[in-house]
Amino acid sequence: MSYSSAPKITKANSADYSFLRANSVKAVATLLLLTVLSSCGGGENNVSAGNRSGILHWGNGTEPQSLDPHIATGVPEHKIIVALMEGLVLKDSKTLEPRPGVATSWDISEDGRVYTFYLRENARWSNGDPHNAHDYVWSWWRALQPALGNLYAYMYFPIANAKEYYEGEITDFEEVGVKALDDHTLRVTLNNPTPYFLQLLDHYSLFPVHRATIEKFGDADQRGTRWTYEGNLVGNGAFQLSEWKINRRVVVERNPHYWDAGSVKLNKIIFYPIENAVTVERMFRAGQLHYSGTVPADKIAAYMERKDPALHIAPYLGVYFYRINTRVPQLQDKRVRRALGMTIDRDKISQRILKGGQIPAYTITPPGTMGYYPKSDLAFNPEAARRLLAEAGYPNGEGFPATEILYNTSEGHRKIAVAIQQMWKKHLNIDVKLLNQEWKVYLNSITGLDYEIGRAGWIGDYVDPNNFLDMFLCNGGNNRTGWCNPEYDQLILKAAPEAKTHTERLEIFNRAETMLLDDMPVIPVYIYTSNNLVNPSVKNFNDNILNQPSFKEMYLKADQADSGAKN
Amino acid sequence: MDQISLQQQEQGTSLWKDAWIKLSKNYLALFGLGILALLCVISILTPWIAPYGYEEQNLMLGATAPSLEHWLGTDIFGRDMLTRIMYGGRVSLTVGFIATAVALIIGVLWGAIAGFVGGRVDAVMMRIVDIMYALPFMIFIVLLMVVFGRNILLLFLAIGAVEWLTMARIVRSQVMSLRKQEFVEAAHSLGLSQWTIIRRHIIPNTLGPVIVYTTLTIPSVMLLEAFLSFLGLGIQPPQSSWGLLINYGVETMEEYPWLLIFPGITLSLTLFALNFLGDGLRDALDPRTSKD
Repeated sequence: MSYSSAPKITKANSADYSFLRANSVKAVATLLLLTVLSSCGGGENNVSAGNRSGILHWGNGTEPQSLDPHIATGVPEHKIIVALMEGLVLKDSKTLEPRPGVATSWDISEDGRVYTFYLRENARWSNGDPHNAHDYVWSWWRALQPALGNLYAYMYFPIANAKEYYEGEITDFEEVGVKALDDHTLRVTLNNPTPYFLQLLDHYSLFPVHRATIEKFGDADQRGTRWTYEGNLVGNGAFQLSEWKINRRVVVERNPHYWDAGSVKLNKIIFYPIENAVTVERMFRAGQLHYSGTVPADKIAAYMERKDPALHIAPYLGVYFYRINTRVPQLQDKRVRRALGMTIDRDKISQRILKGGQIPAYTITPPGTMGYYPKSDLAFNPEAARRLLAEAGYPNGEGFPATEILYNTSEGHRKIAVAIQQMWKKHLNIDVKLLNQEWKVYLNSITGLDYEIGRAGWIGDYVDPNNFLDMFLCNGGNNRTGWCNPEYDQLILKAAPEAKTHTERLEIFNRAETMLLDDMPVIPVYIYTSNNLVNPSVKNFNDNILNQPSFKEMYLKADQADSGAKN
Repeated sequence: MDQISLQQQEQGTSLWKDAWIKLSKNYLALFGLGILALLCVISILTPWIAPYGYEEQNLMLGATAPSLEHWLGTDIFGRDMLTRIMYGGRVSLTVGFIATAVALIIGVLWGAIAGFVGGRVDAVMMRIVDIMYALPFMIFIVLLMVVFGRNILLLFLAIGAVEWLTMARIVRSQVMSLRKQEFVEAAHSLGLSQWTIIRRHIIPNTLGPVIVYTTLTIPSVMLLEAFLSFLGLGIQPPQSSWGLLINYGVETMEEYPWLLIFPGITLSLTLFALNFLGDGLRDALDPRTSKD
């Protein structure tokens, strides 16, 4: 999943002002405001109506960038895609252990390199087409087409020859380690035993896509075709897309062709792209939403105090960090980057701004991932930082060009940026400007290296240090810093997979991570906690460290106590 | 009667002097003027009289209610609210006045010319206004900002450049009704040029509605600025304006109400002051009211 767009802000707030202007913004904003206000009027709210009719109202953060599993990269997209599609293997919503998905069972060869998956006979696409092993071969072929611009292509690299194929060294897909032995048997050959491979299969970048639909609306490797639009999209998940109104909502309905349709309890899920954490929290309290993935930092204390069962705080495998564009002249010097990293007072940010139990981060990989506790020499040390900056040619910050922090529009990111801006000003005496952009524009700027310092978040796609560290490979689609170190690549791609023992493997990761932090193309800020607001009527909502919802398990049942709206 | 004696007779009460006399009897308007003057003076002097730096943070302090050290409390970064409001006033008042001035100049000239010349010129000019109306103004401003870059002065101009439309329509309708009146015909027959007539006779007669509309425009552009800043197109933190302070205040109004109340009071006060003053000026400047 990845880019967390996390807490937000935007158009909704304009409702407070736009009444002075006659324009279209007004109409939308007023509508939103009315939606919020109407809940106070005593009429039935979304939650109680939804509880009766099995409709889950889900506050989903940002408008999804795309619903194409081979193009999307964000958390909001992830939540919708997992409702619409499914991989070979699922994860248990509590323990994250592998569970049968489209594959009923699988064999792993003794050397850990060959996986044989046995697919369900009754697997179907949402339009009723049979769904079989050939779909995977075609989908994975598509995902590896360079023209598609799949930023997650590297997720395939554990598969034999996938990297070579993606980089054009071989042109025959037959040589890539994926084969349909018959309609219901798929064999995957890996380069090395990869302990996290089964976890990868539950990631949307390895999800199958419906060939006929994609080819109907364009070429297989064409971006942005209409196949993901409402009425077109065909998936294999528990739900199917029934409506997608930009900036309004995405509605998915139960998929009758799903192999496990009998155990799906929800009839519908409505995803609302509401970016403003304050608005979304208000809507939640007014009973308009069953779920909100963000809680405004200043409200967490109040929820904790009254022991509100709606508040779910859980460890979250994700890191909030700043990317540095290492091609920008004043940021090319690693001493400057180190100095910036050393003058962020992370304790204060966690305690005074975030307030949700977040842990200050001194490494990119969250400590404790698969028993990995990386060592780090990064610490808050303004004096050493000033020395480094002076060595780099900016004594007392003199002559340091004005540099910009880019963040996607959200009050949460703004607060952190404002605090860091002031810390750099205070400790290094350098002027930093802030620039916010809307989510899609922001993603474009970051991907195009059209930024100087950029806010970022990375949420684990699977539980392994590799998931955080292989982001910064020279050609990693999510690197986006311009930083490249062949020695680092060698450690991640060659040394780690060939490690004999778990300890040795972690040791190699630690060496790579030390290298990364020494060069500091990225500045870790904090380790996420997932802060969710979940209406008590939502049952089977399980917290897990990937914060992955399992929609097929959830159901709605109003308890006597909370059947009324909590106004 | 020759021209000189005619001028002498009229000398006693010029429009402006007359207006001032009337205005000084209107206490509400004077109060508004006083408040505005006070706010302007404070804004100008802010860098010297502000109790703290506007970006000076004290994270350990965090948001605190009003106290002796911080009269209006502090925000979540521990920044002094009084200071923030004072600095915010600089931005808000500047954007209010400059953008409104731009809107006023373009709008009045456009409307006066269209209304006075009439015919095909009027039709073309007003269709341009209609087209601009139809454009979503946000997109237009965003476009201007993207083309010319992010710069506060440009922001003011850009807002002004989209705010003049209503003004142009109001002025035009006024002018249409005025230009057929006898005193304008008299001016024509005296051989005055078109431009002189617009300047000397038409525009002063439209002042009433223009002033009222102006006083409404100022607060609306202040809020527009907040909205744009919010989208990342206006001013950026740590700078602030009243609109932005209110915007941030709304987010935490349940936990830290003072972050909303004080900027809110300041903006409302400005708004009231502008309206009182505007009302007073309209009464005072209307040349049609009798001189007594």
